[in-house]
Formats: sequence, C-alpha cells, structure tokens
Amino acid sequence: MQPLKILYVEDDQRSAQAVSELADRSGDTLVWESSGSAALLRAGMEAFDVIILDRMLGDIDGLTITKRLRESGIGTPILILSALGRTSDRAEGLDAGADDYLAKPFEPEELLARLRALHRRSSGHEHSAVILYGAFECHVKARTAFRQNQHLSLSPKEFELFRYFMENAGEIVTREMLLRDVWKMDFDPQTNVVDVNIGRLRRKLEEGFDKPALETIWGSGYRILDGQ
Amino acid sequence: MSPYSRSIFSRLVWGAGIISTVLLVALWWTTHQTVQTTLEEGARTQIDIDIAGLVDIYATNGRAELATRIADRVAVIPMEGNTPHYFLSDDKGARIAGDLEQWPALDPSVSESGLIPIGENSEGFARAVQLDRELRLVGARGLADSEPLLQRIGLVFLFGGAVLVALVVLLGRLAAARLQRRIERINVAFRDPHAEALSSLAEPKDGDEIDELTAHSGAALARVRNLMEAYRDTSDQLAHEIRTPLTHLDNRLVKTLREEPEAAVAEGLVAAREDIRRLVQTLESLLDIASSKARKGDRAGLKDFDMSAMVHRICDLYSGSAEETGHAFKWRIEGGVQFTGEEWQLSRVLTNLLDNAFKYVPAGGRIEVTLETQANRPILTVSDNGPGIATGERDRIFERFYRGGADEGDVAGSGLGLALAQAIAERHGLTLQVIDSKVGSTFRLS
Repeated sequence: MQPLKILYVEDDQRSAQAVSELADRSGDTLVWESSGSAALLRAGMEAFDVIILDRMLGDIDGLTITKRLRESGIGTPILILSALGRTSDRAEGLDAGADDYLAKPFEPEELLARLRALHRRSSGHEHSAVILYGAFECHVKARTAFRQNQHLSLSPKEFELFRYFMENAGEIVTREMLLRDVWKMDFDPQTNVVDVNIGRLRRKLEEGFDKPALETIWGSGYRILDGQ
Repeated sequence: MSPYSRSIFSRLVWGAGIISTVLLVALWWTTHQTVQTTLEEGARTQIDIDIAGLVDIYATNGRAELATRIADRVAVIPMEGNTPHYFLSDDKGARIAGDLEQWPALDPSVSESGLIPIGENSEGFARAVQLDRELRLVGARGLADSEPLLQRIGLVFLFGGAVLVALVVLLGRLAAARLQRRIERINVAFRDPHAEALSSLAEPKDGDEIDELTAHSGAALARVRNLMEAYRDTSDQLAHEIRTPLTHLDNRLVKTLREEPEAAVAEGLVAAREDIRRLVQTLESLLDIASSKARKGDRAGLKDFDMSAMVHRICDLYSGSAEETGHAFKWRIEGGVQFTGEEWQLSRVLTNLLDNAFKYVPAGGRIEVTLETQANRPILTVSDNGPGIATGERDRIFERFYRGGADEGDVAGSGLGLALAQAIAERHGLTLQVIDSKVGSTFRLS
C-alpha cells in the first residue's frame, strides 16, 4: 500500500494523537496542525495527498477552511472528520467543497479506507473500460463480469456493487461507503441490509470456485480478494 | 416579486381608473341634462315675456295694433335665438294674425303652456292666453338648437376625461410601484432572512405605517433567526461535547481490543463500543427530530426530486434482506412521481418504516410498498400482514421512546424511528399515520 502524506487539522489533542497513531500503524505520514490559520498556511506551502479537517476549531471553522482552500485553487481531497454527524451536517460539508465526511466516533479502518479511496479517486487510477484484479474482470461499459474467464451472472445492482469493489480493489470498502456510493444513501439503516446484499454478491462470485472472493474485515467492511 | 397583474396595487390602479371613468360619465350626463333644462327654461321665460308684452299692447292699443305688432314680430328674423311664432284668433278659431298653421292643443282659459309642434320637424314651447271673450293668443318659441352646444360639451368631457383618467392611472401606477417596492423589501427578507436584508428593514424611510410594518417584520424575523441560530449553536455544542468524549472512550476501547485481550473481555469491549454507537444514534435522532420540528412548514432548502427513483432504490436495497429473512417483499411504484423536499430525509422515513416491518413481521410474512399519486400529491404506504398495531397504540407509537407491547424482549431499537419519521413528514407538510387494514399494519405517508 502506498503511504499517504496527510494534513490533519484538529484542536483536540487526544483526537489528534489517536489519528496520529493510526497513521503510524498504516505507514502514512501525518502532519498535525491545531488551528485553522496554521493549517491554511501549511496547505499553501506543502503538497499533501489528503487533508483531514475538524469542523469546530478554535479560530476558523472547518467549512470556511474548505472554502478558502478551494478558492485558492488547492484541490487536495478533503475529508471532514467531525463531531457534527447528522446528515444535514454532512450535506453542508460536501456543499462547502469537501470530498468526504466522517462523523466521530468512527471506526479507525473506516477512516483509513476513506482516505485511500479519496486519494485514489483524485489521482485518477480508476474509470478504465476494463478493470482487472487477480482472477476478476469488470467490463464497465458492457456491464459484464468474469472470474477466471467464466462469465458471472449478476443483477444490475450486483454489478454496481462488484464494480465498486473492483474500483477499490485491494482496499477496504466500508458499509457507509457502499450505502453512499452505490445506493446514494447518506445514513445507516438500522438493519443489516448492506451485509445481506454483499452476502448475495459473495455467493455469486464464489459459486463453483474454491477460493473466497470477498473478505469481511471485522467491524468495518469488506475487501475484494484476487480470487486466485 | 409577484407578477404585477396579481399585485394589490395594480388592482388599485385599475379600480381608480374605472371609478374615475364612471364618475366622468356621470358628470357628463348631469351637465348634459342641466344644459338642456336650462335651454328649455330660457325658451319658457322668453315666451312668457313675449306674451306679457303683447297682452300689454292689446290692453293699451287694442286688437288692430296687436295684429300689426304680431305681423311685425313674425317678419323679423332675430340675430340670435329662435323666431317666435304666434296665433291670434277669434272665438271661432279663425286666424287674425300669426304664422302658426292651427291652434295647438292648449287651453287659453287656464293660460296653459306646453310643448307644441312647430312646422313639420321641430317643436317649441308655447303658452296660450285668453285676451278677452272673443280673442285668444298663443305664442311659441322653438327650442334653441342645443345639439352643437351639447356636442361641444361631450367633446370637452371626452378629451379632458381621457387625459384625466390617463393621469390617474399613470400617477396611480407610479405610487403603486413605489409601494410595491417597499412591500417587496419585506417579502425579500421573509423569503431569505439574511443579515443584510434584515438590517435594511430597520432603516426608516417615510415614518409611515408601512415603515412601522417593515420595522416590526424585521424585528420578528431577526428574533426567529436568532432563535434558530441559538438552537443550532446549542445542538452543535451538545453534539460536540457528547461525541468528543465518546470518541475518546471508543479510542481507548479500540486500543485495548488491539492488545488482544481474553475472549470474554473482548466481547465486553465490543458490546461497550456498540453501546457508544447506539448512544450517538439516539442523540442524532433526537437532534434530527428537534430540527425537523423547528423547521416545520419552512420551505427553505427543499428541492425537487424523483420520489419514484428514491423509493425504487430503497426497495431494491431491502429486497436482498427479504430473501434472506424469508419475507414476501413486493413493491408497486408509480413512475415519475416528483416531490419537493429533502430527499435524504424522506428516504429515512421509508427506511425506518421498512426497518420496523422487517423487525416485527415474522418470517414468511408479507411486506408491501406502494407509491402512487392522488391529485398530484404522493401517497406512500408500507403495509404488512404482521402482528399489527392495537388501535389504542396507534397514536402512541409516534411518541419519542415509546416502545410498543409487540417489541418487548428481543427486538432492538431506540424507540425514536417513528417519532423521527413523523417529524420529517410534518416538516414536509405531510402526515404519517397508521390506517385501518384487515390484517397487519399499514403506514401511510400522504
């Protein structure tokens, strides 16, 4: 996994420390700034792969920072990590120009998965006509899927799911990411609807093969395996 | 700004134009009548003077002189006014002097007066008098030709009136436009009460009643705005102050879990993390309920969206669950149903209803979603053949933290789902209710 260079803007030291430890473990470099003004300066001077922003900072709030960064032409992906977690708060963050929004408390794996997905999206690794990963093939335009050259018969929604996994191949995909990107829902239903749908996809991907196709990452989400 | 045709001011201008036209027509008619009456009065007075003069001549100079004078008068064509006409006759009705063809239908013994025909086409005012037992006289004057005068008056009224009405309409429109601008300032502030619009309402212009209304509106809007801001700040602070320590607590649990504790300890830690999640969700739901209630009837932030597509997407998401749980899940969705609202909020209403249905309807049961329109209003129903809801509970299930008798024991939930769903429905001007059904329960959002 390619290490990321992350700017983290957070005025709460304990939160900063926890995320910092998380970044250490995943091998990423994290630069911490505790105020909005310092963060704006830093983001203007150095290039980062992703920026994590708290919303309620002591000086400038996260939404304003996002707007100012975008106005000054800095397009680095921004993930807002905030204690304001209602859907309306998320909508505000995304409207201000942020690329993703995660509410506290969060699953550490979820944060890492989202940061990687953001970085991947911004560095343009995806959207090719055919996505190949291990034994899997996803023909985006033709909307067909193959495993070891065998056609997989998927329903339209299952194909959407499969494509999303393929676009994020090798990385963890969380339930919230799936809900947001595949079903366009910005909140978590109280039942296990996502797991059930993944279960159905998994059966189709694994039927007639020995090796598993999807790995469940405990407590956070799923990852597609190479199937070989 | 509302279109000018629907504005009260345009109606006022129209009204002023119509009223001034009606008044002008009435004034013209009155003038017309007065002029005509005055002309008649003139003829009447003139003939009375004539007759008095002739009676005088007869009394002084006798019958022959009177006949001569009458012949003189008939012969003279006056410079102005109308030619007088006479008929002097003896008691047998034979004409002694005058130019009238015959004795008119007037009784000289009572000095009767009235309109009589003169010649073929005109008429005149006449008076008949008995001079003595054998002699009677009738004098008449044709009515002055009043048409040219009346036409002139009509023209003056027509042109003068047109100018007057045009002026009334023009000035009315100018005044109306000014008033409309002043009212529009208030409407702009109501539509979007941002600080600039509100501060502009505080500046007095003329010190009149509209200024007073403007100032009151500004003050009321500012109060509402401040309340909303205070409410928002409080809920943001509340969320922040509760979520941040919970995040720290969660981080500690994650850290401890990472050190791979004994299975029993790990189980407890995972359960503790679940509790944290639930607590956060409860807090969020409460704040969402409060926020939806606070914005009830507020149209700001609502957008058109395809409700059919939304319902379809969610049904599709839950269809997998139905296969897994052994429910017969069906949906019937009318295509292209558009609605103005917050899409994510309304999708939450549906997921809450479906979450409940999947929780409470035993495996093998039926769950059905329908979306249709009636008089262009969407009606969304979620019905099932599960245990149903007792009539006495139908209102209470929408209360916060109310847990119905059916879910005691093994079914988890915050007891806020339906309260939130109803608050969202009301925020959109819709109602969410349980309606009568033969089996199970039917929720209807309409």
